[in-house]
Amino acid sequence: MYKITGQLLSLMAAGLFASTSFSSAASMDDLVAAAKKEGQLTTIALPHDWCGYGDLIAGFKKKYGLTVNELNPDAGSGDEIEAIKANENNKGPQAPDVIDVGLSFGPKAKAAGLLQPYKVSTWDQIPDGAKDADGYWYGDYYGVMSFEVNKDLVKTIPANWSDLLNKDYANAVALAGDPRSSNQAISGVYGAGLAKGGKDGTQIAADGLDFFAKLNKEGNFVPVIGKSATLAQGTTPIIIRWDYLALVDRDNLKGNPPVEVVVPKDGVLAGIYIQAISKYAPHPNAAKLWMEYLYSNDGQIGWLKGYCHPIRFNAMSKAGLLPQDLLAKMPPAENYAKAIFPTLNDQDVAAKAITAKWDSVVGANVK
Amino acid sequence: MSNNGDIAGISAGAAGPGKPVPAASRPNRIGAALASFGSAGILGVAPFLIFAIIFLIFPTLGLIGGAFVDKAGKLTLQNFIDLTQPTIVDAYIISIKVSAASAVLGALVGLILALAVGRGGLPSWIRSTVMTFSGVASNFAGIPLAFAFLATLGRLGLVTILLRTVFDFDIYRAGFNILSFSGLTITYLYFQIPLMVLIIMPAIDGLRNEWREAAETLGAGSWHYWRHIGLPVLWPSILGTLALLFANSFGAIATAYGLTGSSLNIVPILLYAQIRGDVLHNPNLGAALALGMIVITGLANVLYLVLRARAERWMR
Amino acid sequence: MRRSRFLPWLGFALGAAYFLLPLIATFEFSLREKRDAYSFLAYANVLNDPNFRATFTYSVTVAIATIIVGIVLIVPAAYFVRLRLPALRPVVEFITLLPLIVPPIILVFGYIRTFNSSSFLPLTNSTTGTNILLTFGYVTLSMPYMYRAVDTGLRAIDVRTLTEAATILGARTPTILMRVIFPNILISVLSGAFLSFAIVIGEFVMASLLNRPAFGPYMQNIGANRAYEPAALAIIAFVVTWGAMGMIQLLARFAPKTSATLVE
Repeated sequence: MYKITGQLLSLMAAGLFASTSFSSAASMDDLVAAAKKEGQLTTIALPHDWCGYGDLIAGFKKKYGLTVNELNPDAGSGDEIEAIKANENNKGPQAPDVIDVGLSFGPKAKAAGLLQPYKVSTWDQIPDGAKDADGYWYGDYYGVMSFEVNKDLVKTIPANWSDLLNKDYANAVALAGDPRSSNQAISGVYGAGLAKGGKDGTQIAADGLDFFAKLNKEGNFVPVIGKSATLAQGTTPIIIRWDYLALVDRDNLKGNPPVEVVVPKDGVLAGIYIQAISKYAPHPNAAKLWMEYLYSNDGQIGWLKGYCHPIRFNAMSKAGLLPQDLLAKMPPAENYAKAIFPTLNDQDVAAKAITAKWDSVVGANVK
Repeated sequence: MSNNGDIAGISAGAAGPGKPVPAASRPNRIGAALASFGSAGILGVAPFLIFAIIFLIFPTLGLIGGAFVDKAGKLTLQNFIDLTQPTIVDAYIISIKVSAASAVLGALVGLILALAVGRGGLPSWIRSTVMTFSGVASNFAGIPLAFAFLATLGRLGLVTILLRTVFDFDIYRAGFNILSFSGLTITYLYFQIPLMVLIIMPAIDGLRNEWREAAETLGAGSWHYWRHIGLPVLWPSILGTLALLFANSFGAIATAYGLTGSSLNIVPILLYAQIRGDVLHNPNLGAALALGMIVITGLANVLYLVLRARAERWMR
Repeated sequence: MRRSRFLPWLGFALGAAYFLLPLIATFEFSLREKRDAYSFLAYANVLNDPNFRATFTYSVTVAIATIIVGIVLIVPAAYFVRLRLPALRPVVEFITLLPLIVPPIILVFGYIRTFNSSSFLPLTNSTTGTNILLTFGYVTLSMPYMYRAVDTGLRAIDVRTLTEAATILGARTPTILMRVIFPNILISVLSGAFLSFAIVIGEFVMASLLNRPAFGPYMQNIGANRAYEPAALAIIAFVVTWGAMGMIQLLARFAPKTSATLVE
């Protein structure tokens, strides 16, 4: 397992900070002109409430005057890959130019020949473990696994994974997806396993499954997929999901019900998503411009507004580029200091184990 | 079920037994009539078949083809061998059970409701309201429906709380759970019953009042009427709608997903996990799952055809 | 002939309870956006969105197109299969059950692969072409319901006698279909139309992946990550669809009637 501690990241960033500027101002202008000639960009799977994408897309449209076709914001990572494949020969506005998928999809998509490489001007500030050396895919933001708690219905706020097994939380705990297919839900199980302190993917996955088996046996686990509506209505008062989604939810609910977002102390799991450009993109220059925009200071701060940690977080923090008011709204930094970023190998191994064994271990019985 | 013979018979009969008709022209007229009907028949069905081939069969074949290859594109039967995993077999069994239960119950309740509204002598505004409502409700599926039932019969649902506060009756302590097989079936009924009502209503309208009156004149009570006249006449339509309800429920995923998300194993959820999921992503296994579903639907259809043929034997 | 009306009323009452309670629960939840007081705030949030009217109008237009194409394709097919080609009946019925099993996402990817900008019929290149593709996709999705409804209606009338009578009187096939058969199965066609309409209004996957501004993707965008708005949306969609269907029913009263039709 490979721990990226805060110190390590900032060490790398400090050394590379000097090269933040664009490779050359002229080439950026060429890119903008070429993109404007293409006139549009097609994205997929970008819900407006996810990492502040709503504002980011609006900002992009305003800055460069391009149209943005937003396909299927409900899509999962698998859908995005399928969409690239299906649109191989299609140059119409149904073909996605850029994708935002889970970490494990990067190498798979590259191996399947679905991506084209591009290195943004701030390339060097992206940590090595979070990007492909040849530039086919690159990490964009990360968050940690947290508990979203409905304070109206839950009197004692849980602080650790182990707390969830208490009797107080009968029929209360839910995941935000189906662990047999959703990256977020699988990460939830993995996070629970991390609390046991295992060393490799297989062990952690087994521990995580074990935890949920216990949770289910105690009667604390609710098999409904947790959403904002079910949290407010009361079916799923505690949802295990990415902290940025929980925080946005808390804001949207405006205190009705009041929500607390807790990062469990005994196991902090970080999850990275990655960006990539489709090999068959009908608007490759617009796609590259979009990447430049996302990885510029404005773009990174846009993600921060959505409570996601942009991949250049440490570099920008060192340079004092992060607005203080935004930082104040984020959860305390100590949570992220202990965050564990699983390697690609650990993730793949764990995902396979969890999806295969979920039904038998958690006992998906239907009466 | 003859047709050509009838036409010929009628045309010949219309000429009358005693009227002399030139022998040569009679077969020509019949032949011409037959020819125009036969060719028009194919012509009438052709647009539909062509449409179905381009927009339904062709994409489905693309999907099915994927079941016979592996990820590298080589021909293999591995996907079908994978289908015999216990998880997948269980999923098929549960899917069939839920679909059959919601189809049969939906057909039964829908029939009763349609009879009540169509022939029960209720005011006519009730009938048009029910028909319109059925149209809307038949497609009220997916997450909104799942949420509606969670908000009604969930642990903190409206009805649950009402029963607990007013009647001091806790349905959850009595063993009920919306997140179960029965809960899912009850939720599915919300779109199955209206579907049945909408489709069976014309058949109920087709039950002539004269038949009822004739039966009652001969001394038959309500039970006899339904047993010997009403139900047999309706039976082929009921069977046809049952087949539709079964397939409708078999392919439904969004409602199950919204309700019992990660605990229920039905085939569409597995299919989606393979095709769309973030992790597993084995589209070829997904294709095999889909092929299995098509085969099962085909078998259900064959069963329906056999039953219908026997029911229609006494009808012309 | 007086028959007891008790049982029919009981049946209707029980049915009404089962169908209305979940709607009431959803409605009650949608009113809870403001803490400690019931309010229509969630509805205001939804209806104030400028895209509501645009996307709804678009979906209604596509729905009407879907219904018309569906009728034109399926009524003659069902008629001729029943009258002339009974051997085809099992095949046609099986075909019409397929759209219930094949996931719409497979269909839409199939369409994109077949009709993309480099194919022999580049429908995806133009807005009109994509609209046509979406309509045909919806006709496919609503095919099971339209066919079963029309087939049941045809069964309830004596198709053979009607056809023979009309033929003897000199009518040709198009006339028979339009002026004799169609008015007699109007209720069934209406049922099929209702079902198609509801499907088109709520459908999301195809519209979204074909990049069309339909009501389904709009609802998804508004409601995906909110708590109270989705409930409000569900109620609004319900009411608005009901209204549109009521209008379809109203228009049907002006269609040609025969004495045998029990059109409400």
